[in-house]
Amino acid sequence: MRLLTAVLRTIRHSRRLAVGLIILGLMVLLAVFSPLIVHAIGGGSDPIEVAAYEKWLVPGPDHLLGTDQYGRDVFAMVVSAMSVSLQIGAIAGVISTVAGVIVAFVAGYKGGWIDGVLSTFTGILLVIPTFPLLIALSAYAKNVSLFQVGVMISIFSWPFAAKTIRSQVLSLRSRPYVDLARVSKARDLEIIVTELLPNLLPFIGVGFASSALGAIFGLVGLEVIGLGPGGVIDLGQIIFNAISTGALTLGAWPMFVVPIVLLTLLFAALNMINIGLEEVYNPRLRGVAGE
Amino acid sequence: MKSELELRGVQQRFHARGVEGGYITAVDDVSFTLAASPPQVVSLVGQSGSGKSTIARNVLGLQKPTAGSVLYGGKDIFKLSRAEYDEYRRDVQPVFQDPYAIFNPFYRVDRALWKAVKKFGLASTRATGLELIEESLRAVRLEPENVLGRYPHQLSGGQRQRIMLARVHMLRPSFIIADEPVSMLDAQVRKHFLDILLDFQREHGMTTLFITHDLSTVYYLGGEVMVITKGSIVERGPVSTVMHEPSHPYTKLLLDSIPQPDPDARWTTRINVDELDEEEKTDAPATAPETPVI
Ligand SMILES: Nc1ncnc2c1ncn2[C@@H]1O[C@H](COP(=O)(O)OP(=O)(O)OP(=O)(O)O)[C@@H](O)[C@H]1O
Ligand SMILES: [Mg+2]
Repeated sequence: MRLLTAVLRTIRHSRRLAVGLIILGLMVLLAVFSPLIVHAIGGGSDPIEVAAYEKWLVPGPDHLLGTDQYGRDVFAMVVSAMSVSLQIGAIAGVISTVAGVIVAFVAGYKGGWIDGVLSTFTGILLVIPTFPLLIALSAYAKNVSLFQVGVMISIFSWPFAAKTIRSQVLSLRSRPYVDLARVSKARDLEIIVTELLPNLLPFIGVGFASSALGAIFGLVGLEVIGLGPGGVIDLGQIIFNAISTGALTLGAWPMFVVPIVLLTLLFAALNMINIGLEEVYNPRLRGVAGE
Repeated sequence: MKSELELRGVQQRFHARGVEGGYITAVDDVSFTLAASPPQVVSLVGQSGSGKSTIARNVLGLQKPTAGSVLYGGKDIFKLSRAEYDEYRRDVQPVFQDPYAIFNPFYRVDRALWKAVKKFGLASTRATGLELIEESLRAVRLEPENVLGRYPHQLSGGQRQRIMLARVHMLRPSFIIADEPVSMLDAQVRKHFLDILLDFQREHGMTTLFITHDLSTVYYLGGEVMVITKGSIVERGPVSTVMHEPSHPYTKLLLDSIPQPDPDARWTTRINVDELDEEEKTDAPATAPETPVI
């Protein structure tokens, strides 16, 4: 509850943060309602089915973004692909952030040998070349689901989150206000949750955003080499499709441009949220903003 | 409330790279006793890096010494039962050096006081809690409406440090461990702070371990003084004795390195301040402070 008011207060103080959240919110809304939208476009039948319509229709009132080489409605494809991309981002973002935060807090707050072991482990994962391994894993596990790909990507992205957050925990845990909490009989977990965590929200946000973006683009990469999860279309696949079929020369530019614009918007929104959080939480910047 | 806080052969080592043995000894076989009655001020002076803050952390139970023990009422503070620990926690309270870093920037300053109320069960209802907080704020000469509901960066250093004193006032510990509490305050605010501390001693019977590197503050507070150098306490005695007849060569060195607050002793170099006030021993300007509420 107190966290909620804090969040509201935070948003009030940064226009960037508000804009970023609004863009992200709209995209999430679009993704949530994508089945309904796709259904409406199809008007009873599935608009993403192969040969649902004629091939390479140019954008028009019936097909806002035209159709592709299989006669699928591009608008419907983009809407559901965005939902897929956001899902993979959310899955990998949540898993790696939660894992990263837990490891970072245990290592950073407890210190000593626990920190040694965890940091070494994180370090090893960090230097493993991620993408080749991801390829190997996906090739091995045929017909993986979206969730499984998300988990696989998370395995490699949580150490980044853990590393950034751990260094922050290290610098925060020796703050005098932590000492004050300790002489006020606060327990370790309470200190972590009420004293450290709120101050780390911006870093956790950054960790989440970079893991999510990493996963979204990681999936794009997997799609390119044909190792993506079966039966789903994400934004990367549409872009790849557009490139490989030369859609641009056929006048089907939306197939290429729209997914890229969406990815860029997503990228911008997540970054604005990060910068906005930083702005609000950095007390010096806050003073300038005139709280 | 126990009557005694004792350090017995406390040693604190820290791992350090590039030094002989791979560690430094910040506190080396330190023993002393603080008595709750009669309430007193015991100053601990020494230069930077001599181990003063480390001792404070040991006494507050924030850092377990590598050898020796800190005893509260004759028992090792790291081996107390639940009830004894609760008593120790309430009875030994700090005032830290940096009045800004002591507050979590995420919360309003009230929280530090409410935490104390709740954790130590000082009040059963919100109304009595608020009453208590307001009473304690007034005791340190703060107007509750000027500080409550504010964020730390909206208050001055002096205000923030006095909120910490208000917290101490609420808890009424027998022992205050004050680690350079005035080093970041200007001269006038500093005097204010020290006066409140002396009030606490007189009115509420609190004993203070006052850590400082500033001898003029030691003079002002009076009571006893301990001199520490390189992790060892080399001298202890009443302020007047130690200051006038230092027995350890380091104490002499320390005394020689500061401007004499003795009006008969003249500076050899030119100084701008007209006359040092013998009573205040601070160079507080005669003009009013910039803000009416310090
Ligand atoms: N957590 C720590 N890890 C490693 N070394 C430490 C740690 N805390 C203190 N030290 C070292 O112990 C020595 C004593 O430090 P301490 O902070 O107690 O000195 P101090 O007397 O309080 O100095 P100052 O007047 O500057 O505050 C210093 O050499 C310091 O570098
Ligand atoms: Mg110190």
